Amino acid sequence: MKRGPPEARRAPAAPESTPSGISTDSILESISDGVFTVDRAWRVTSFNRAAEEITGIAREDALGRRCSDVFRASMCESECALRHTLDTGVPVVNHTAFIVDAAGRRIPVSVSTAILRDADGAVVGGAETFRDLSQIEELRKEVLDRREVGDIVARSDAMRRILALLPRAAESGSTILLLGETGTGKGLVARALHDLSPRREGPFVTVNCGALPDTLLESELFGYKAGAFTGAAKDKAGRFAIARGGTLFLDEIGEVTPALQVRLLRVLEEKVYEPLGATRSEESDVRVVAATNRDLAAEVSAGRFRRDLYWRIRVMEIPLPPLRERPEDIPPLVERFIARLNVLKGGRVEGVTPEAMAVLTAHDFPGNARELLNAIEHAFVLIGKGPIGPEHLPRELLPAAARPRRPVNLREAVSEFERRAILEALRRRRGSRAAAARDLGLHKSTLFRKAKSLGLALPEEDGRARREGPDRPKGD
Amino acid sequence: MRTALTIWDGRISPVFDVCREALILDVAGGRVVSATQESLESPTPFGKVERLAALGVDTLVCGAVSEPLRRALLACGIRVHGFMAGEIHEVVRVIASGALPDPSFAMPGCRGRQMRRRGGRGQGRGFGGRGRGGRDERS
Repeated sequence: MKRGPPEARRAPAAPESTPSGISTDSILESISDGVFTVDRAWRVTSFNRAAEEITGIAREDALGRRCSDVFRASMCESECALRHTLDTGVPVVNHTAFIVDAAGRRIPVSVSTAILRDADGAVVGGAETFRDLSQIEELRKEVLDRREVGDIVARSDAMRRILALLPRAAESGSTILLLGETGTGKGLVARALHDLSPRREGPFVTVNCGALPDTLLESELFGYKAGAFTGAAKDKAGRFAIARGGTLFLDEIGEVTPALQVRLLRVLEEKVYEPLGATRSEESDVRVVAATNRDLAAEVSAGRFRRDLYWRIRVMEIPLPPLRERPEDIPPLVERFIARLNVLKGGRVEGVTPEAMAVLTAHDFPGNARELLNAIEHAFVLIGKGPIGPEHLPRELLPAAARPRRPVNLREAVSEFERRAILEALRRRRGSRAAAARDLGLHKSTLFRKAKSLGLALPEEDGRARREGPDRPKGD
Repeated sequence: MRTALTIWDGRISPVFDVCREALILDVAGGRVVSATQESLESPTPFGKVERLAALGVDTLVCGAVSEPLRRALLACGIRVHGFMAGEIHEVVRVIASGALPDPSFAMPGCRGRQMRRRGGRGQGRGFGGRGRGGRDERS
């Protein structure tokens, strides 16, 4: 294909120098913002190092090409910032857009523009600077903990079928029952159902029914009036009230006691409930999405879950497959977890080696995506940068033959057990020795001695040590 | 064969996700037997996919396309020939001959894309990184 006139493909003119003698090119090469310039025919005439890194396009490939084919931004077609600046003379500052890289990833960027003039003041083109906002976007999403449909990893046919089902299920407004093991993404799907539903502008409220004792769960769900019980000094709105106009996600509904099941059935059937101590009913205006990792049909047969409530909540049932049944979702999940942890922990992990990926895809992950995340986090603590190899993954993921230091007698078996218990406690407590010792029922000086005898290097007290981190055994 | 070509300013539209128009070409016997211009304006990017499916398109030639949309297109049975750039009349000439744009039409940085796609995973680079070639498996 045509690549533009030869003059547009030649290297940029000799670099200019600042008054201090530093060349402009040197400055452009050193900054972290991408910068490119174009001539009046929209051909790229310069492309700095950061531009190469952000777009993934080598300078020699970019020079002389149409800027829209190089930059591939969402704004190119309808609201090109450079065209606006060249037409009006007004610079654009920090306009946000996304670009699409060669791997099909949308990279959020902020764009600014300026006019380029020659020595006589004539316009010879424009300059565009752009900043990669991926990390900021990751942080923002992490902070807000907002999950969208696009956050559900669905490379497998099984998950793609579920994704295809969601818009219609969301639109229906019916009560939906999500079934799946722990860590299969029931919360993500519930959030997606809300985001796709006509109630998306309303609140999305989650209640973990298994995390609260029955009496507390009742007041949490329905609220109470002042004086309803000792200590109830003023009215408290329940989750049904807080979720008004939105979606109430009842996680672990299989844990609800029979007494509370009766109250839930009433609110689902009659759309009314009474806060504790109230004399009047209140109207419920929520869409309920429920989830459980139990076999609710079996619970019904065993008499532990009300049949009428079961039929009421499973107007539509969406079973979520465990990760072991969709191994093709593991690589994109790993990619997502690494990107997220790089942002949260300030790491520079580049991915996993093919060998480590083979280990991950061979594991059956009884804890599903949550266990996978833990495995990646474990590796982060060990390396912090570079690719993750099999040796950085938790030992239980490795095939038995590949596990190092297999115990051969009782004493070694006990030592191995202690070693794993300490590492797990440190990992769970993010490297805090004091907290890990508490979990293990030890004084921290005992933990220190024990770890030393087992050849484990402990982190600094504040848990921030990474390279010499909490579960990095000496000599590994 | 019915081929859609996303267009803008006389060229392939740079980003499918936000494109607004497509040229729908019916090719038979080495020539274009019909060519119509269709709007792909839609409130959501997935609306463009549904529109192309409704138009009975078999193959899409487009510029950059994000992965979720590429998957959606494939799920609708539309073959995707993405990350292409060039003048419309040149691309139409190639399509009329019964072929698809070759790598010389590839967008900058995407020339090896087709080969990598068939090369499978890995290639010693690992998975999940942000570097070039980090995600290279495609259907």
